[in-house]
Amino acid sequence: MSEIIVITSGKGGVGKTTTTANLGMGLAMRGKKVVLVDTDTGLRNLDLLLGLENRIMYDLIDVTQGRVPYKKALVRHKKQENLFLLPTSQVKDKTAVNPEELVKLCDELRQEFDFILIDCPAGIEQGFKTAIAAADCAIVVTMPEISAVRDADKIIGELGRADKENIKLVVNRIRPQMVEKGDMLDMDDINDILSIECIGQVPDDEMVVTSTNRGEPCITMEKSQAGQAYRNIVGRILGEKIPFMTFPKEGFFSRLKRVFNL
Amino acid sequence: MREEIVRIKGTKAGLQLLFAAGATYAAIEAEIREKLAAGSGFFCRGTVMHALAGSLPEAEMEKLRHLFHENGVIFSVTRAPFPLPEEPQGAPEPTAPAEAEAPAAPQPAEDAQQMVVVNRTLRGGQEVRTQSSVLVCGNVNPGAQIIAGGSIDIRGTCRGMVHAGAFGNQKAFVIADHLVPTQIRIADLIARAPDKAPADLEKPTRPERASIKDGQIVIEPIER
Ligand SMILES: Nc1ncnc2c1ncn2[C@@H]1O[C@H](COP(=O)(O)OP(=O)(O)OP(=O)(O)O)[C@@H](O)[C@H]1O
Ligand SMILES: [Mg+2]
Repeated sequence: MSEIIVITSGKGGVGKTTTTANLGMGLAMRGKKVVLVDTDTGLRNLDLLLGLENRIMYDLIDVTQGRVPYKKALVRHKKQENLFLLPTSQVKDKTAVNPEELVKLCDELRQEFDFILIDCPAGIEQGFKTAIAAADCAIVVTMPEISAVRDADKIIGELGRADKENIKLVVNRIRPQMVEKGDMLDMDDINDILSIECIGQVPDDEMVVTSTNRGEPCITMEKSQAGQAYRNIVGRILGEKIPFMTFPKEGFFSRLKRVFNL
Repeated sequence: MREEIVRIKGTKAGLQLLFAAGATYAAIEAEIREKLAAGSGFFCRGTVMHALAGSLPEAEMEKLRHLFHENGVIFSVTRAPFPLPEEPQGAPEPTAPAEAEAPAAPQPAEDAQQMVVVNRTLRGGQEVRTQSSVLVCGNVNPGAQIIAGGSIDIRGTCRGMVHAGAFGNQKAFVIADHLVPTQIRIADLIARAPDKAPADLEKPTRPERASIKDGQIVIEPIER
């Protein structure tokens, strides 16, 4: 049975596209047939993270408007033959696809793929509504800072209103030293507010940036901390029980934690 | 089939607990324990069970509350006639400015008796607006708001904006398990959170009540 997962966040720039690329690659490495659907029309960059920009022939809009069958628009990854990208258009805007069209397309994709990951645009407007329409479940990406957590909270509320109740959390760009000093929210603070199941804690890692530039998600890099965190998330999506990576703990004296006015 | 002492009926607002007339407390408790032990799927954690106030003495209600809490079921005694009215829920448009002026409706007596029950966490951007009182079995998150003609009771943490007695009722109050709102308004008074929380101020561990005393909003711990 295939699964459609939308990766969303509310706030921009917290790591939706990075997460989509890594989880897609990771699931494909585990033998699943995966397609990544970029719905960030007009600001596409999932293709860049996968190093596939120069191979794009057709895009999502060509497919939803019936100009080509989806198979013609799919781009296969250079190294990972289980991984496909359905890129979007760089010139159209988010009104070019509506929810019904995406639902119909995803129904077709279900026949062929084990996992369909949808990279959602930031915000809660039309593009978001379209991206979530077909999803069986959602991964909300946030960062350990107040504004990102608040936006995640709002998105969880919006997902609930759209009857999407299966929601998991990924906290990205954790900086253990800052958490330790009390300058960054820790997992307790975040769970307190969001109270949904967390399936990933991804550290801030330079290798995310270097791997992005090389067009290869960091999950393929043995030594990357973020890569390890993403491998763990993939395992959890596949139903494995994997303990969370331990970051340095708060010292005894800094236990008197600051109260964030969340 | 024997006559059931305790009946559980599903309503839109959750489950309601009905007792057979003349049943003893011991019999009621025994049967509830039996139901809790048997129906593992029926009482999932976070289920809300309502009982009509006055259908059992206060002390016995308290014992039931304990029993349900131990099993992860939220027990709530409501004065509202069943089925409980549930306010249609809708987050306002994100760009829509908050309506500054609420209609200054006088508070009819029966409205004060009514209660809107919200069986989930109110998240940022969500709003409950009603003439009656509000019971939330869940948290009120930052950016969420409740505007109630009556009082507001939150069985969880309140971090949002709450306005009790919004149409002038000075006797309205706000109760929460953890009361750390951005703002509390009661009738026409406003109290806001301190700009900078002192370093050692953890969130309150006891339920608290905010009400008007001597023309000021005061917050004091209470027993539930
Ligand atoms: N764990 C991480 N460590 C370091 N840098 C990161 C990490 N995750 C993401 N980044 C960087 O943050 C930036 C934004 O990431 P990304 O594009 O994935 O976010 P997004 O949520 O998709 O943004 P948008 O809302 O614009 O679509 C990128 O430059 C990326 O390289
Ligand atoms: Mg993106």
